[in-house]
Amino acid sequence: MPTPRSLRRQNPITFVLAGILCIGFFIFFFSSSDGAPAVGTQGTGETASNVLSPPSLPFRKSKSNEPPPAPPVVHYYMNNLTNTRTPIENSETVLILTPLAKFYQEYWDNLLRISYPHNLVSLGFIIPKTKEGNAAYADLQTQISKTQNGPKLKRFASITILRQDTESPLNSQSEAERHKMENQKPRRAAMAKARNSLLFTTMGPTTSWVLWLDADIVEFPPTMIQDLAAYDVPIIAPNCFQRFYNEDTKKNDIRGYDFNNWIDSPTAQALGSKMGKDDILLEGYGSMATYRSLMAKMYDPSADPGAKIKLDGVGGAALLVKAEVHRDGAMFPPFPFYHLIETEGFAKMASRLNWESYGLPHYLVYHYNE
Amino acid sequence: MHRNVYSNGHAAYPSMGGSGTFSIQPHKFQPRSQPSLRRRRQLIQRILGAGSLFFIALFFFFPNLRPNLGAGPLSFFTSSEDAQLETVRYYDLNNVQGTARGWEREERILLCAPLRDAAPHLDMFFGHLKNLTYPHNLIDLAFLVGDSKDNTIQKLTDNLKDLQANPNPKQQFGEISIMEKDFGQKVKQDVESRHGFAAQAGRRKSMAQARNWLLSAALRPTHSWVYWRDVDVETAPFTILEDLMRHNKDVIVPNVWRPLPDWLGGEQPYDLNSWQESETALALADTLDEDAVIVEGYAEYATWRPHLAYLRDPYGDPDMEMEIDGVGGVSILAKAKVFRSGVHFPAFSFEKHAETEGFGKMAKRMKFSVVGLPHYTIWHLYEPSVDDIRHMEEMEKERKAKEAEEASKKERLDKIKNTFDSKSSDWEKDKAKVQDLVQQEKNEAKAKEKKAKEEQKEKAEKEKAEKEEAEKEKAEKAEKAEKAEKESGSEKVKDDEQKESQKAKGEAKKETEPRKDAEPVNRDVEFADPEKIHDVRGVDDKPKLQPPQPRL
Repeated sequence: MPTPRSLRRQNPITFVLAGILCIGFFIFFFSSSDGAPAVGTQGTGETASNVLSPPSLPFRKSKSNEPPPAPPVVHYYMNNLTNTRTPIENSETVLILTPLAKFYQEYWDNLLRISYPHNLVSLGFIIPKTKEGNAAYADLQTQISKTQNGPKLKRFASITILRQDTESPLNSQSEAERHKMENQKPRRAAMAKARNSLLFTTMGPTTSWVLWLDADIVEFPPTMIQDLAAYDVPIIAPNCFQRFYNEDTKKNDIRGYDFNNWIDSPTAQALGSKMGKDDILLEGYGSMATYRSLMAKMYDPSADPGAKIKLDGVGGAALLVKAEVHRDGAMFPPFPFYHLIETEGFAKMASRLNWESYGLPHYLVYHYNE
Repeated sequence: MHRNVYSNGHAAYPSMGGSGTFSIQPHKFQPRSQPSLRRRRQLIQRILGAGSLFFIALFFFFPNLRPNLGAGPLSFFTSSEDAQLETVRYYDLNNVQGTARGWEREERILLCAPLRDAAPHLDMFFGHLKNLTYPHNLIDLAFLVGDSKDNTIQKLTDNLKDLQANPNPKQQFGEISIMEKDFGQKVKQDVESRHGFAAQAGRRKSMAQARNWLLSAALRPTHSWVYWRDVDVETAPFTILEDLMRHNKDVIVPNVWRPLPDWLGGEQPYDLNSWQESETALALADTLDEDAVIVEGYAEYATWRPHLAYLRDPYGDPDMEMEIDGVGGVSILAKAKVFRSGVHFPAFSFEKHAETEGFGKMAKRMKFSVVGLPHYTIWHLYEPSVDDIRHMEEMEKERKAKEAEEASKKERLDKIKNTFDSKSSDWEKDKAKVQDLVQQEKNEAKAKEKKAKEEQKEKAEKEKAEKEEAEKEKAEKAEKAEKAEKESGSEKVKDDEQKESQKAKGEAKKETEPRKDAEPVNRDVEFADPEKIHDVRGVDDKPKLQPPQPRL
């Protein structure tokens, strides 16, 4: 008698096939789209148990129907905090800080591409309380909720958004207005205050590295954090360039953008010594020739991309700093400090605390071109 | 063929077996019957069952693969841990500027205390903490323990756990963090080496480093104020936070004194780091090299600055303010925005100053108001310096020598007293004898009187009524005499008492002038003449005049 057809359908192979299909389907469906292997045991960052905790840590919400428990006594063993040349292996946490005046989608997309484990990365933003700032905040908010509810591997450990308390001294954030020489001092003083506010409120006791990244940096290698950390120096800045369309050669080209990375010159020092206490030296303005060696001018595509040089002034476009430098007190002076202000003053203050700054002339990051 | 394999399968599904309706005839086409559909449904159910079992197992072992269904009612199906995790925080720094009445606006304070070998002071410190009147839940505590060799951490943890175990949520503090970080300081922490001039610059720099580490790790976007407090403050008002806050200044410090033992003057200005800048000091600063640090209170740097500490008037207005340039670190209340904008404790020479003095200078540089309260005083613990200890040892020695001297003196006096004690007991005996004799005499007199009365009575009975009046008079007289006698007796008792007290006095006097009593020859005379005794007694306690005692 022939086997009933329905029974033939119940062949175990059917079950096996169906199972395999389901597994494949679910793996395809739920694993992250970039196909990174799903490793569950990656060094996870810590989690705080109370709202009152460092902003660089995520925290567990307390259940709304019960009274909040007393905040616990938390020990932080800062002796065990490391910042080494192999940060991923040692599960060192990175805090990426961005003063945000305008939101660029390219910035966010680029940020999501970093290959440093996102669960070790905390983000901090400070946004001015202006109309422009509100728009930037709205855009940022959308992207954040997308990312933090998206695939787990892309989610950052924590994100802090601050609204700036100090008034922005300039109404216009346009590039031309921003870069006028007489506007530089108040602008950069306000910028320095914003940076300090962001730094000192978001840096937690578990932070190992601080990466300063301007909101208009739209392109850098995904491995930048590891690459810079591998030099194992207190402060390190890659060279900040800008892509543009060269009218002369009729093709896409690149040019130096951040002129705050420099090696000091005797001219500049002489200039400084003749200045009043509250005057500042500025870089990149023809009327004040300092003859400093600018890192932006040192780029050579054929040279060893790993070469590093010692710097006396740094820019804030992209800057990787060991957290202990900031903890020792090195901040961005909002006042003329040795005739230097903001990030340049920061390098000076760090050097007063015996922390040296370095630059990578042949390692490029790209600034947005307006 | 695998159909053969399935020929056995019939046993597993007996119901499907022989029934003709289920068999499909090859020569006859028939639409599928309903039961076959039902059977297929069974198959689908089985597949679904197996699939869900498989996924439950999969998600159980690999939580990372669990799908994210978003927040909301569906989040029940995802891991609960995940949905509870909050990663995004938003803060507006305009809300944490700090105002004069912070406790009404629920402004959070960060209380920072750097600690090192501070175990002996912790109990006192926590006593102060519990007594603070500022709402405790608005105070976040942050401690940095570094290079400690005693049980500071253990004691601190226990104390803090006690605080948070308080059932009253109003008594519980906010965020509490203990940071452990050793800076490997070489400078010893005892009073002498801590305050030596040579050690100052290095010590101040590493102290500054510790303070910066503490602040940068503990400051949150929620803080409106930051309060720095040393653990070795002995006395401070419970309302100190409100008192300082009321002034609504960016940086404010009280005056810090310390109590001293009486031999050192009772009290002394302690914190000399709160001062106003002077021309002399500015000129001095210009002459020093870049890394030099001016420290206050040492002869090496005469700065002639007006110090907050020396301007204290115990009866002055505690609300009086004074602009200062350098601040001391014992108790600083500052708005958090000061620290947020970058002011810190320079661990390098900033305008020739470091740590808290450099902090004051930097705050001034950024145009923040820095103020001291000369008449609002808190008291630092007095820890005797090596010199003081030496001095105290000397004083102790002196005291002991004096005590020994006094003891020997007393011994001598006792000896002298003892030698005279026998004599005074003689005197006592004599007196007793005298009294006995007096009493005897009295008794005899009484007896005689009685006899006389009886005789008189007998006579009266005999002589009867005519003589009654005269007899009565006589009897009255006799009674009066008796009374007088009795009175004199009671006087004697009084006299005894007085003599007793006089004797005690005399003994007391003996100690000072022992030779006076060393003339027992006068005894009888003294006894006979009370006036003489008065001389010895002194004028103030003259007894009532007594009738002269009958002589023996």
